[in-house]
Amino acid sequence: MQQRFVIDVSGYSRFNPSRRAPIWWGVLGLILIEASVVTGFITTYFYLRLMAPEWPPAGVEPPPLLLPSLTVVLLLISCATMRWGGIAINREKYTQFVVAMFSSVALALGVLVLRWVQFHDLDFRWDEHAYGSVVWTIMGFHFIHVVSAALGTAVVGILGMMRFFNPRQQIAVIVDTLYWNFVGLVWIPLYVVMYWVPRWL
Amino acid sequence: MKKTRIRSDGPISARPDTEEATATLDRTWLSPPGFIGWFTHVNHRQIGYRFIVTSLIFFALAGVLALIMRLQLMSPENSLLGPELFNQFFTMHGTTMMFLFAVPIMEGMGIYLVPLMIGTRDMAFPRLNAFGYYVYLTAGVVLFASLFIGMAPASGWFAYVPLSGKAFSPEVGMDVWTTLITFIEISALTAAVELVATIFKQRAPGMSLDRMPLFVWAILVMSFMIIFAMPPVMTASVLLMLDRTLDMQFFVVAGGGEPLLWQHLFWFFGHPEVYIILVPALGMISMIITTFTRRPIFGYTAMVLSLVAIGFVSFGLWVHHMFTTGLPHLGLSFFTAASAMITIPSGVQIFCWIATLWGARIRFATPMLFILGFFAIFVIGGLTGVMVASIPFDMQVHDTYFVVAHFHYVLIGGAVLPLFGAIYYWYPKVTGQMMSERLGRWSFGLIFAGLNLTFFPMHQLGLEGMPRRVYTYLEVMGWGSLNLFITGGAFILAAGFALSFWNMFISRTRGITAGPNPWQADSLEWATASPPANYNFRHIPVVRSRTPIWDDEEADERQLVTGLSNERREILLTTVLDAEPQGVLILPSPTIWPFLLAIAVALGFIGIIFSPWWFVVGFFLSFFMIVGWLWPRRPWQEE
Amino acid sequence: MLFRDTGTIIALSGLASTAQAQEKLQSALAPASDQASGIAVLWWAMLIGAIIIFAAVMVVLGTGLWRARRKETRLSGIASRNLVLTAGVAIPLLVLIFLVGGSLFLGKDLSAKAPDNAQTIEVIGWRWWWEIRYLDENDQLIATTANEMHVPVDRPVRLVLKSGDVIHSFWVPNLHGKTDLMPGKVNSSWFTAKREGVFYGQCAEFCGTQHALMGFRVMAQPEPAFAAWLARQAENARAPTTEEQALGREVFVDVGCAACHDIRGVTPRAMTTGRDPKAPPLIHDLRAMGKAELARQDSPIPAPDLTHFGSRTTLAAGARPATKGHIGGWLTDPQGIKPGALMPPTMLEPQELHALVAYLQSLE
Repeated sequence: MQQRFVIDVSGYSRFNPSRRAPIWWGVLGLILIEASVVTGFITTYFYLRLMAPEWPPAGVEPPPLLLPSLTVVLLLISCATMRWGGIAINREKYTQFVVAMFSSVALALGVLVLRWVQFHDLDFRWDEHAYGSVVWTIMGFHFIHVVSAALGTAVVGILGMMRFFNPRQQIAVIVDTLYWNFVGLVWIPLYVVMYWVPRWL
Repeated sequence: MKKTRIRSDGPISARPDTEEATATLDRTWLSPPGFIGWFTHVNHRQIGYRFIVTSLIFFALAGVLALIMRLQLMSPENSLLGPELFNQFFTMHGTTMMFLFAVPIMEGMGIYLVPLMIGTRDMAFPRLNAFGYYVYLTAGVVLFASLFIGMAPASGWFAYVPLSGKAFSPEVGMDVWTTLITFIEISALTAAVELVATIFKQRAPGMSLDRMPLFVWAILVMSFMIIFAMPPVMTASVLLMLDRTLDMQFFVVAGGGEPLLWQHLFWFFGHPEVYIILVPALGMISMIITTFTRRPIFGYTAMVLSLVAIGFVSFGLWVHHMFTTGLPHLGLSFFTAASAMITIPSGVQIFCWIATLWGARIRFATPMLFILGFFAIFVIGGLTGVMVASIPFDMQVHDTYFVVAHFHYVLIGGAVLPLFGAIYYWYPKVTGQMMSERLGRWSFGLIFAGLNLTFFPMHQLGLEGMPRRVYTYLEVMGWGSLNLFITGGAFILAAGFALSFWNMFISRTRGITAGPNPWQADSLEWATASPPANYNFRHIPVVRSRTPIWDDEEADERQLVTGLSNERREILLTTVLDAEPQGVLILPSPTIWPFLLAIAVALGFIGIIFSPWWFVVGFFLSFFMIVGWLWPRRPWQEE
Repeated sequence: MLFRDTGTIIALSGLASTAQAQEKLQSALAPASDQASGIAVLWWAMLIGAIIIFAAVMVVLGTGLWRARRKETRLSGIASRNLVLTAGVAIPLLVLIFLVGGSLFLGKDLSAKAPDNAQTIEVIGWRWWWEIRYLDENDQLIATTANEMHVPVDRPVRLVLKSGDVIHSFWVPNLHGKTDLMPGKVNSSWFTAKREGVFYGQCAEFCGTQHALMGFRVMAQPEPAFAAWLARQAENARAPTTEEQALGREVFVDVGCAACHDIRGVTPRAMTTGRDPKAPPLIHDLRAMGKAELARQDSPIPAPDLTHFGSRTTLAAGARPATKGHIGGWLTDPQGIKPGALMPPTMLEPQELHALVAYLQSLE
């Protein structure tokens, strides 16, 4: 059988941006998975609430609004600083990029501190009733994800300091930002469900 | 769909395929030999092969558990297995079959075959692939270790609360179970995400979505189903783990918890799970029928749409496992209708196959025999499935041997028969040898007969009032003779499977050598050597239709891609819809980090069984392993 | 082809043996109530339909395979499309509409509210026995018993189903389909027995070690006999009439049985009134406890009411007939009959054992 070469890919770039890179689709898959887990938790919350005679249980108040609302703001700002970092790397502004990354990490640390205070302030434990269990679990789940996003971005920041990234080679930045956006934005539905639903509905 | 623009204006001059060049390429894609080397492998064929072999071992183990249970049940008030051990056995049988055999083997077939079928050299995330395997292996080993020390989980594979909670199952078995589920979820999810990314981005130029082999479509649908079905059971098992280790109250009635929540979460996963197992098998059937009738499957679009429809609709059926829990009838009725509706896409598939094979000169080799067996068994299983979709009828037969009969018919008929057909079919590709046809026919005959002798009478047992999950029954119930008969049938079934296992083992050394395409099939995996070289394809092929090899034979010409490096692991990226070449991706070489990360994760999860603090340990250990994994080697320059 | 012949044979033998199902003790195909009859009719209709459909599909498949006998032929695109649309879509759709419709109609009837003249019976599932409480029209307790339920013929019985620990399922196939007993939830079901008889039932949701031997009996009797039985059950325990029985009653009280079992009129605590199914489950591992410890138990361990034990035909939730030998065996070594049962063994001198058995059998 005759062989005929009809495509030559030797000149193709070995750096693949965004949607061209399988890792982009991989992280998208990860986000879909995590979103499904979040849906599972939200469903759990609503199911337990539906079946309970009183929600929160008698004598228990929904947690205060100030700190969680603050964390919403901090997380949104951190999504903005990540975006800033993405723009910086595209314009080869390496210092700005590193600053942006570590600003995001700092914001995340702020969120973690606030979260810690919130845990401390909760006047019910996770083992007292189903309400306590679900609130502690959802908060803990998000906490862990903020930690992992912060750690990942810190690594990206360090690599940035080592001048590893450039406009063509930045897929790690892109997927880290994707994941960061998910962690930041997913807090909004969780926040609404945990802090506003018991007050509104 | 837009047809791919292939630059075929004049021959492209390419460096000729010297032996030296091929040897370099081969070395680049080599998996290191040796004991330590084994732990660094990342090639999809090695990983896929491991998934398949490990799954088959678990299949045999679960089968042996079933045989022992059948021996216990063959006469009333038998004393071979006491209730505690029996309950562990049926829990292990179900858990192993569903989590350690059925899904991993389908994934393994996908991991091995999909890159070959779509014309690429490896999967998108080779290290993640390896990691997924080690996690799976660890899960299975830990589960069986718990059985060997008599501390296996004993609340059924479905682990209903409150029975599986700390109050009623204080032993460590259930903690092992929740850990295992989490492991398996991770393994299945990583494979699924990777399959999606690979199928989307790495198809050979010209293989637009509507030219993909139906098996690849099936794996794609399966992968999306895994992505959406596994998280709910992950949620459920995490909540149960939290209840058990930290005294949370998700499922504890006294604290406001809800046993039905478990059932909803579990079955929202559990129903799609069985279709996750079935859908790849449907893909296998299409490939085998095409080859043995020498005809492309009739109604490609309908077949694809049916697969997708099955995938979607399967998410809307889960409450049919809960018909007796006291939920309102009106709500339950929706699920009767939905459960009935899913027969339509299955029916479309069946009749497309029949239309394809109508009047064809069929080669009745062993793979085809298994496919014919599928038709009979799966239809029976589907019919009883429609029966149990009826709420009043289900109120009688739920949790009885009738249901046991039903799901064994659909699972063995719908998944295991096509799977074994697929093993006979692709074994030459994987090993370079044909399996024995004589042993294959005997095996099929014994399996087919044994399957019917074992499971058909169970329909009657259920109607006669025998519930499931019972370690014994009273003589006066009159179930003794049927049970004895069934036990006999089970041994025939086991003999049939044993023959196939023997065949797989013995054919490696004694089989007839197979060339690249012993069945004269049409899909791309048959364009490689048997077994494929380390690099799969010497050059990535260009595809012009759904039947690439037959095309090439007709045109007497093969169109190829040149320009991928021989010195490093490069694969070609193409667009999602039309598979137009876009870029080149460099893949990692063999590395130990996936194995190390799996150990860190395992330490964390197994540790949790003993103390919650292990979660923190595991988390940070894992972080370090991930950094080691991902830390870029000093960047190479772009050429 | 091999599989077609085998399939037919199996189908026929299946049919033949279902005819024998009438003689089996717990058969869904020997209905004794309207509800079970409705379901049985549905079953036969579905079975006939299934046989026809299976045969049809096999014939179509067989024909397709057979067609290549002389030479290779092919279905045209149109014919193929028609085959798929008719056999794969249109016919299944029609059949399913009928099936789903019929099944929903029946289901609606089965799930309707029980008629007002129904006898209400509350069933509480425990590991691994059934607490049975008869309630009057105002939901007040009339009588408590265990593992054996009497029902009137031709009058509806409304079951109120609860669980004290894990999920169980109440299933007596001759009379109705099963409904689960869920902790924290109250389910209900109802049926009307249409003939006298003894009907066998069994737990149908895996509930732990002794799920397999958690059986029960339903005795359907004509209304007057049922009323008499219920009145008897509502009374306190019969006083001993022989010396041996009196000794047995002493043994019962001394040895600690009263820590878990109630005999109304004898034991101080009526453990079976007003138990809250939402109360925390009782998780004592009785196997590890000694007799004396058991007697000191503050919270009652759920165990069958024995006030009219002598009137029941079985013991240990249907595991054994209630004969002298079996009762003695159960008392001395419950684990021998039901390994994992929560009842501890009772060590007695032979004389005491005989007396206790005699006393229990006298509690009619």
